Amino acid sequence: MVAQGKIVWISGPAVKADGMADAKMYETVSVGDAKLIGEVIRLTGDVAFIQVYESTSGLKPGEPVIGTGNPLSVLLGPGIIGQIYDGIQRPLKDLAAKSGSFIGRGITTTPVDMTKQYHFKPSVAVGDEVHPGSIIGTVPETSLIEHKILVPPDHKGGKITNIVAEGDYALETEIATIEGSDIPLKMYHKWPVRQARPYLKRYDPTVPLLTGQRVIDTFFPLAKGGTGSIPGAFGTGKTVTLHQIAKWADSQVVVYIGCGERGNEMTEVLVEFPELKDPRTGKPLMDRTVLVANTSNMPVAAREASIYTGVTIAEYYRDMGYDVVLVADSTSRWAEALREMSGRLEEMPAEEGYPSYLASRLAEFYERAGRVRAKGSPERDGSVSLVGAVSPSGGDFTEPVTTHTMRFIKTFWALDASLAYSRHYPSINWMNSYSGYLADIAKWWSENISADWFDLRSETYGILQREDTLKEIVKLLGPEALPDEEKLILEVARMIKIGILQQNSFDDVDTYCSPEKQFKLMKLQVDFYNKGQQALKDGASLADIRSMEVVSSLLKARMDVKDDEMDKLDKLATDMVEQFKNVTGVKVQN
Amino acid sequence: MSNQGGVQYSKIAEIKGPLVIVDGVDNAAFDELVEIETTDGQRRLGKVLEVGNGKAVVQVFEGTTGLSVSGTNAKFVGKVMEMPVSEQVLGRVFDGLGRAKDGLPEPVADSFLDINGAPMNPEQREYPKDFIQTGVSVIDGMLTLVRGQKLPIFSGSGMSHNILAAQIARQAAIIGTDDSFAVVFAAIGVQYSEAEYFKRSLEESGALKRSVLFLNLADDPAIERIITPRVALTVAEYLAYDLGMHVLVILTDMTNYAEALREISAAREEVPGRKGYPGYLYTDLSTIYERAGRLRGKKGSVTQVPILTMPSDDITHPIPDLTGYITEGQLVLGRDLFRQGVYPPINILMSLSRIMKDGIGEGSTRADHQEISNQNYDAYSRAQEVRALAGIVGKAGLTPVDLNYMNFGDEFEKKFLTQAIDENRTIEETLGLQWNCVSKLPKNELTKVKDKYVDQYYKE
Amino acid sequence: MSSNSALESTIDKVLERNSSEFSQSLKNSLEDAQKTLSDALPMLEEEYEKIISDGKKEADKIEKQIVGSADLEARNKALLIVQESAEKVLEKAKEKIANMERNSEYSSLITKLLTEATSALNTSDVIVYTNSKDKDVVQSAVSNISGAELSNDLIDCMGGVKVTSKDGSMSFDNTIDARIELLKPLIRKDIAAQFNLGN
Repeated sequence: MVAQGKIVWISGPAVKADGMADAKMYETVSVGDAKLIGEVIRLTGDVAFIQVYESTSGLKPGEPVIGTGNPLSVLLGPGIIGQIYDGIQRPLKDLAAKSGSFIGRGITTTPVDMTKQYHFKPSVAVGDEVHPGSIIGTVPETSLIEHKILVPPDHKGGKITNIVAEGDYALETEIATIEGSDIPLKMYHKWPVRQARPYLKRYDPTVPLLTGQRVIDTFFPLAKGGTGSIPGAFGTGKTVTLHQIAKWADSQVVVYIGCGERGNEMTEVLVEFPELKDPRTGKPLMDRTVLVANTSNMPVAAREASIYTGVTIAEYYRDMGYDVVLVADSTSRWAEALREMSGRLEEMPAEEGYPSYLASRLAEFYERAGRVRAKGSPERDGSVSLVGAVSPSGGDFTEPVTTHTMRFIKTFWALDASLAYSRHYPSINWMNSYSGYLADIAKWWSENISADWFDLRSETYGILQREDTLKEIVKLLGPEALPDEEKLILEVARMIKIGILQQNSFDDVDTYCSPEKQFKLMKLQVDFYNKGQQALKDGASLADIRSMEVVSSLLKARMDVKDDEMDKLDKLATDMVEQFKNVTGVKVQN
Repeated sequence: MSNQGGVQYSKIAEIKGPLVIVDGVDNAAFDELVEIETTDGQRRLGKVLEVGNGKAVVQVFEGTTGLSVSGTNAKFVGKVMEMPVSEQVLGRVFDGLGRAKDGLPEPVADSFLDINGAPMNPEQREYPKDFIQTGVSVIDGMLTLVRGQKLPIFSGSGMSHNILAAQIARQAAIIGTDDSFAVVFAAIGVQYSEAEYFKRSLEESGALKRSVLFLNLADDPAIERIITPRVALTVAEYLAYDLGMHVLVILTDMTNYAEALREISAAREEVPGRKGYPGYLYTDLSTIYERAGRLRGKKGSVTQVPILTMPSDDITHPIPDLTGYITEGQLVLGRDLFRQGVYPPINILMSLSRIMKDGIGEGSTRADHQEISNQNYDAYSRAQEVRALAGIVGKAGLTPVDLNYMNFGDEFEKKFLTQAIDENRTIEETLGLQWNCVSKLPKNELTKVKDKYVDQYYKE
Repeated sequence: MSSNSALESTIDKVLERNSSEFSQSLKNSLEDAQKTLSDALPMLEEEYEKIISDGKKEADKIEKQIVGSADLEARNKALLIVQESAEKVLEKAKEKIANMERNSEYSSLITKLLTEATSALNTSDVIVYTNSKDKDVVQSAVSNISGAELSNDLIDCMGGVKVTSKDGSMSFDNTIDARIELLKPLIRKDIAAQFNLGN
């Protein structure tokens, strides 16, 4: 029996209705004559407190509220990839078809085209035993994604009693039946967004999620199935960095959530991604991307839902055996949505007005990351990596969202306004950032790229750390007060900053850097440093070392050398050896 | 909204701050427009902030001064607040609520639009990429404004933000090949003289007939400021998307807007966020700033240049902070430059135009534009470091290269940044000046530009 | 049917019967107004032309920028004329309505206005106010609504009713004056169209 009540109170996105004794927590409801979509977030007696996902302008007390009997769910099936959804999985294209350039209200749509025919190819036969989560067939979804049709995780499974032959079917077609179950299988199922999808077991993350961004991959790596956070004041390049991750991460599926951010940023992704090619497959990036867009001016409650909608979709593709990366920009806006609803509920606020359950909500979200063995057969592993942007007010990392987030993530990319002001992009501060995956993924680098990787990385990072201390002295006494060996540290640190840490996202070559190139660039700098120190000992002058031709080549190599031109870097290494011979040689001759 | 509005209630339960709480109300809608009638027959406008259990909380735009619990009536009009629009609004002056203020009758309306607008569907947006030449070198060269962008000016009290905004409006308006542009100016709690300066500036350039002015001056009711940017943007959207014009919207001063919002929040006894501003300030500001943009299949555009004065020049104050998170960059005016008499006193290091990259380059401005701009940024940032160092160790402690950077800094500020209020530079001139500046540096310092551009433009 | 269109159609019918005297309904009164206006149009157009040509003469003398303000001025003057005409038309229409015969169709209009008011107030426990002319018509309508009573105090209006709850906390103004006020912007738009001012 569904609840049928009446509105008694309205304040912005918050609505109270009475006569709702039959309603369940987190049930979706239809609100008012305009049939707005809402969700029950508190029940007191027969009064339901509802957050409404659409503008409540014009709503009146006395209008009806009708339950749906279902919790807020997403529809999972082929057709999701390439879509742009709002926070409650309504395709924005369909909304535009119904209400034009501006988003109307009370519009219902289906998340995917239910009439389209998909080519289904069964992978099980009558008599086979299937379990919750098992794959029963495949559907080609895009040029990059083969969609696996799963037995819903909440289905009890059993012996297949009937399954359709290979062919074209619409999503509603009953493609299989299971013994002892009167629920036939279709090519889609629904899943409540606030409930994590089950898996068999969890692994430690040991494989790096390569993003082609040097400061990330080399210095502060993320692992597949890991969690990362990127906090930064406005103007520090948060969005550009997130876009870079979404573009170049070596995952098979990308879910990008624009949560309370700029409309044009979503448009940018929509314009750019179909044009960009995945560096590994050469196929359009849009063929692996799902967008969830609830921009800042769209109703605030749906912002809260958008995060859950996105992560549930990510888990679904993980269950097919794919590596999925989910980028959420920005979790701060999501936290603010929580705060706004909490305020309207008149809950007792904790720090800065945020509800006391902010930390547990953040923990729940990041806990949905992981590299897992999926349920059912055949055996397969998938992962969900979560990257959440944080927009700390005033750039202050001690505010609640940043501090709580830091408790639940393992990689922290601290964006630095002063780096951004001097146009050092990505403005990830190498002193304040950290990665908890470094030791776990070192093995991958040494097996796949070079056994020296970990040592070289430590050496490079050591130079940066030395420079950080020396800078304090320079601030007081000027650079001339330092001995040449230390001046060389400053010089090489500058070269590392320009030649490695900085990366131009808008340069065709520099935007993506292969692991091999990352390694070689790093090795060149470390070699330069060691040879430089040796040259100083051998009597070369710092000025001569500085003015070596190879210096500017090292700085520009990130843009000049393409990923398939590694021989150019090897050539640079030989040139460097030659030129060092010259500087020391010149000195000796004089 | 239904036509059932029109009921007038006379039971006023409470008046606090800008709010009137009406009792016995069983026929009012959230967001509904309310007409408050005072004992002496005066009429004021307001809207419903909260309704239920027989009570309606009404926010009175024109203030509650002089209202009394007895004898005050509240009429619920049955619709949300609307702005009458037509081409006839061009050349007109309105008050902060969108009512004629120039002594003329209300313009004849083609339609009446909800002043809150509706959120643009991101899928329907056209990505902004058309360069606007403002004739101001530092903007065109390094902080390019693009049609459909929202680029605020972060200023401090007393600085030249209004002069700069007026110059942008004048020069950006004149340049286009077609004349389908318009300027919408919303004064939000600013002084008469500032609004008058702007009006005169438009008048003198002949742009007044393509302009619409909304004036809520310093002595006008504070709560009205909640409405002013919204009526202005409603008109702007109409001109852009219904009439196909390129509209430049100037909103000054958004700080006053946010303060009005804080006043209402305080009166509602809401849990405050930072510095007493409501927790929903971000969301609220976004419903203003996100109304900039372009739409697929529509000719016009809405470009916003909101101006805000940062309290104590503090960029981490919630108003500039949250604005910066929403807008596509910011032009930050620097107190130091202003004191040195530099106009426009834009601190380029703290400033940014996010969508510059899409509006410039080959086919739009010039192929080397992005790179030469990056090089100037890099060099200016180095120059500032060197200056700071020179302040401590003296010029003697500097290397020859450091001295080159100091020269660069001077050239940059004096020749490139500084410009006259009526000086309208072409993009070619601007790029030339940028090359002049970096030519103060040795060639091998130019790590941000491709060699071919150095060969082409570097001045030995 | 929305109450406005209900009112309009009722007014339509009422006025139609008196078309020999003036013309048609409130909606149609617009048409009438337009007719009156189109008679006046040659004169007005002449004036309009004169303003423009005056403006142009001036414009020739001075700089480009002045053209802008001259255009504006001309537009603004035309706007004033529209306003004036609209006021006149409305005055005439109001006069006609005020003097209209209080027949059975009028009384059905009154009934409609009354029911609308009580439904908006959500109670029929009301006191009804009207003017002296409508008193009888309103009295007979009020007597059909239990709980409603007609006040002896008269109000100043052209016709229609004003309804107040008995405790005085709510009221609903459904006088014809109030309704015309709501239609005013539309009337102005139609008049402006006559001048080709509404684009």
